[in-house]
Amino acid sequence: MPITCEFEYLKPKDLTAACEMLARYGNKAAVLAGGTDLLVWLKEGMRAPEAVVDVKAIGELHRLEVRHGALLVGASVTFTEIIESATVRSELPLLWECSHSMAFVGVRNRATLAGNICSAVPCLDGAPALLNYGADVLVESADGPREIPVTDWFLGPRRTAIRPGELVAGIRIPLPARKHGACYAKLGRYRGEDLAQVGVGVLALEGDEYRVAFCAVGPVPARALKIEALLNGHPLHAERVRAAQDLLPEEIRPITDIRGSKEYRMHMARIMLARALDAAVARRAGEGPPLGESVL
Amino acid sequence: MRIPIRFQLNGMARSVEVEPNDTLLEMLRDGLGIKSPKTGCDRGDCGSCTVLLNGRSVRSCLVLAAEADGCEILTLEGISAHPTALQEELARHNSFQCGFCAPGLVLSATELLARNHHPTRAQIQEAIGGNLCRCTGYTPIVEAIEAAAGREP
Amino acid sequence: MIEVEPERSLRQETKVVGQPVERIDGWEKITAAARFVDDLEFGPALLHACVVESPHAHARVVRIDTKAAEEIPGVVKVVTGRDFPFKFGLYMQDRYVFAQDRVRFVGEQVAAVIARDAKTAARAAALVRVEYELLPAVLDPVAALEESAPLLHPDLGGYRHVPWFFPQPGSNVAHWRKIRKGDVEAGFSAADLILEDTYRVPRYAHCAIEPHGMVGLLDAAGRLTMWTASQSPFTQRHVFAEALAPLGLSHKDIRVIAPSVGGGFGGKAGVSCEIIAAALATAVKGQPVKLMWSRAQEFYNTYQRQGLVANVKLGVKRDGSITALEHTLYWDAGAYVEYGANVVNAVGLSATGPYRVDNVKIDSICMYTNLPPGGPYRGFGYSEFFFGLESHITRAAERLGIDPVAFRRRNMIREGDTLAYGAPMNANGLAEAIDRTAEAIRWGQMETASAPHKSIGKSLVLFWKAPAMPPNAASSAFLKFNEDASLNILISGMDIGQGLLTVMAQIAAEILTVPVSKIRVETPDTDRNPYEWQTVASHVTWGCGNAVLKAATDAREQIFALVERALGFDRTSLYLEDEKVKCHGRPEWSLPLRDFVITGIQVQDRTFKGGPIMGRGVFMPEFSSAESDPETGQGGHPNVHYTTGAGGIVVEVDRETGKTKVLKAALAVDVGRAINPDLVRGQIAGGLLQGLATVLYEDMRFDAAGRLLNPNFSDYKIPTALDIPEEVIPIIVETAQADGPFGARGMGEHTMIPAAAMAANAIADATGVRIDTMPVTAEKIAMALNARRPECP
Repeated sequence: MPITCEFEYLKPKDLTAACEMLARYGNKAAVLAGGTDLLVWLKEGMRAPEAVVDVKAIGELHRLEVRHGALLVGASVTFTEIIESATVRSELPLLWECSHSMAFVGVRNRATLAGNICSAVPCLDGAPALLNYGADVLVESADGPREIPVTDWFLGPRRTAIRPGELVAGIRIPLPARKHGACYAKLGRYRGEDLAQVGVGVLALEGDEYRVAFCAVGPVPARALKIEALLNGHPLHAERVRAAQDLLPEEIRPITDIRGSKEYRMHMARIMLARALDAAVARRAGEGPPLGESVL
Repeated sequence: MRIPIRFQLNGMARSVEVEPNDTLLEMLRDGLGIKSPKTGCDRGDCGSCTVLLNGRSVRSCLVLAAEADGCEILTLEGISAHPTALQEELARHNSFQCGFCAPGLVLSATELLARNHHPTRAQIQEAIGGNLCRCTGYTPIVEAIEAAAGREP
Repeated sequence: MIEVEPERSLRQETKVVGQPVERIDGWEKITAAARFVDDLEFGPALLHACVVESPHAHARVVRIDTKAAEEIPGVVKVVTGRDFPFKFGLYMQDRYVFAQDRVRFVGEQVAAVIARDAKTAARAAALVRVEYELLPAVLDPVAALEESAPLLHPDLGGYRHVPWFFPQPGSNVAHWRKIRKGDVEAGFSAADLILEDTYRVPRYAHCAIEPHGMVGLLDAAGRLTMWTASQSPFTQRHVFAEALAPLGLSHKDIRVIAPSVGGGFGGKAGVSCEIIAAALATAVKGQPVKLMWSRAQEFYNTYQRQGLVANVKLGVKRDGSITALEHTLYWDAGAYVEYGANVVNAVGLSATGPYRVDNVKIDSICMYTNLPPGGPYRGFGYSEFFFGLESHITRAAERLGIDPVAFRRRNMIREGDTLAYGAPMNANGLAEAIDRTAEAIRWGQMETASAPHKSIGKSLVLFWKAPAMPPNAASSAFLKFNEDASLNILISGMDIGQGLLTVMAQIAAEILTVPVSKIRVETPDTDRNPYEWQTVASHVTWGCGNAVLKAATDAREQIFALVERALGFDRTSLYLEDEKVKCHGRPEWSLPLRDFVITGIQVQDRTFKGGPIMGRGVFMPEFSSAESDPETGQGGHPNVHYTTGAGGIVVEVDRETGKTKVLKAALAVDVGRAINPDLVRGQIAGGLLQGLATVLYEDMRFDAAGRLLNPNFSDYKIPTALDIPEEVIPIIVETAQADGPFGARGMGEHTMIPAAAMAANAIADATGVRIDTMPVTAEKIAMALNARRPECP
């Protein structure tokens, strides 16, 4: 369907100019990076901005680099660039696997991690990685920079901590000091691409420390802290995994929609948690299924 | 409110004026008469609007025309000026039926073979996984891509 | 039976027929040369239309206010139902161009805006104000049958329809096809086991990647030209002519041109949204107007595959023989059934499946509901009923402790057996199809799953289908030579992807010895190309192929007659080879076709004899009749012949997640003669995947108000390249169809038909879980398995 709403198209050359434009338009401006969400919203009449601010001319937003022990993912870095990064694959395998599970090549070539977290749909694939790695969202505005831990970023379905006039400049992900294995298990309706009906990301760090985060089973993606507390410090045995599964009703609140019933989602969350834990632990030891192969 | 943009299209320098709310797909089809990218769903779900933008496959229905400024665009018309081994194998294998998905598929496969001269079957399926085809069941397309890869040194 | 030279009907040596030649339209699709409706250019005068749609499933239209829309700059005209109070329909005229006094489904068109560009049209359409008065709606076919159900078509008694429909005015029954053969009560009494159950199949969407598109131009001289993505240009012309007759238009005033079509699957047959463009063209005389359907409209306002609630009651003896079958089918056929009622009819005739059953009671009931119109979809009702029937057959066999394949072999129909409606069954290779399919999936051999929490299951099912057409559905062909002895063949059968153009070229090539590479087959233009009823029913290889065969034979006869007349040869001694006329007994002599097929043969006195060689062929079955007893269905010969086959599958089910992986899918179809085996294999690969998708994950969801919740590919999942079975095994069986070109019969729809039942049976075999409602999703399987084992894995 054609885009019927009319807006100005602006292409600032640097961050200062971008922030100035956003300050001027407030929440009547939409930021355009990959466009794979925004264009759909414009076509369906879900957004009608007065200005679209294309940030892709801002050089610093294209940076994908390690600085001071953290990976900086600029706002214009695409999922394809993330997947093609050897650093991401070796140092942040959960981010790699989450990114790889998302959409198709043609979408990943444009879509950005920043845009993904700004759309803040509950089934956001990038979220489990960012939550487990303890990332921070770096935001800029005419009032200067702000940092928001990703755990404080998601406020509700499609609602984030961003304020009018602000722009996500990048995401900073500390590289874990310890060796770890990772697994992102994603439930779809078939083998082709799908929006996650359940997503669980697991890190198994050396020293038997675990990080577990879910998406698509609550209003916001979130860490499962009770499950982590139960698992931490212990090797993974069937008993402990079962106990962790039994904690799920306290950690997640799946709903029924046209993609799946809450009963099935809860059932699958149990299975996916167990399989993701096993795969992450195996990968920590250098074994397990190759990265990118689904455990379902 | 028209915006002047300049880009390379199938190897030729072009310059046009576009409205801010024109998509790249509309500019190519309605503005420039480039008909191979198709409007299958206009939402980025089917891949029939695929073009190569700076060498990468993108859904042109999800790109604003204005974003093409300074870019290189390659469509099936550009590739077909000198048909490739891939196209020969697709013909030989009778890979396509109605042909509506063909432009997008050929471009996705072209992108794959440019980066990976010897893809596995799984890698081929993933590379074209975003191009929906209702007619063929995909098998003869995958076989043709394998055959084309087999012709690479 | 048509008059085909006897030797052509039987298996014989052929040079081109039977070869997997490259498609003659392959390169144009691979190089961006192919032009679809949306690609055609009409210049700066082209107007664009956008329709206004009902948000309600059933409502009276009280008032339409178009003023605000009309005032938008760039808007040329706004039209409503009042401007076009014309009925239309293919088998029954129950539908209006725009809703009149009421709307009957969410999405039904009530008005349209015509503007200078698409964005303006869309913007203005949003400003049209329609006032509705809600009426109670009915969304279920069984509920629609009740006395208390709202009456959707009070004027049903006055609708024109084909003589083989039996509507019940005063109810929502648009058609009721009954079959009564033998004595079912006696049959059930004789049974050792009676198994009865209900199966439910929801609606499905075609999802051709090209949406419907149409451009109409009523020129200043009163000629209406339509460019449509259509499977049926001549039928469209006919429906337009009938519907628009009040405007003074008749057949000769209307021209329908179909360029390349991006997939049909039945959805682009008949007339659905195209009538709107035709009507709009008459509202802006002299200017072309374009209407492109969006993907969402493709989902909710084109034909859908009907939903079905089917009750199957089967009587069997301990020795495995079927004694009686009672099959009651309640079809959710939607708001308008002008086409869909024939789906109900076709199934009514064939709902025994390819089995020999002496005692049959079938009731196939077409119910109006407040949902989008059902219509032709690949399989024409057969995929729907086979889900229940073939699931049921396997269950009955298992209950008796008989191997389900042996059970089918025992009861399968054979040539000459009496069909449900009294006519005899044609020659068929069903036995061979079963044997080869069973071998392909190693039926009877246990296989080990790849992990302890997975199980393997297998199934083999039968299928059949006959073309569902009026008894006088005709095909015709013109064939003309060019100076270089190349050929143009003009037909109005559409290539919707199946490769029709190539197959027609192969037939002509075989007769005229011109290579396929020198043959062009043109897409339809009702002014230039001769008549074809529709490209549906998997009948054009047979019907149009026979017409092309006759046209080629006609041209050949003209060639031989001319050579005889001009050069004194005995025509019975002549033959064609390598684009030359040759003579038995005169091996040194030959005459290249290019020397005379346009210019004639120069004779002794230096004059020329002959002229351009052009062939003509018409094929219409003259043995088919659709009229039968309304109470028993007996009499008549409504189906020209059946194509039969078998499908087999091996699946691996993960019992924890319910996910089903197809390891092997085999399909054997008796095509009579595979004119192009590559294209037959292509239909098997494509149809199997489309069928498996309906059973494993495609899922149309309506809410309680009749609104489609998933009109997009994000939530209506069609297969991607990642979803193909690990192995697809196409099996071509060739038991000749005596009246088919080189023995061929059609098979395009058939490859989808067995998929649902074979998957459901195999999943039951693997897990013990029997799901009788489609789709059989991972969720349903997992929850059914989980319910048996409350302690989770």
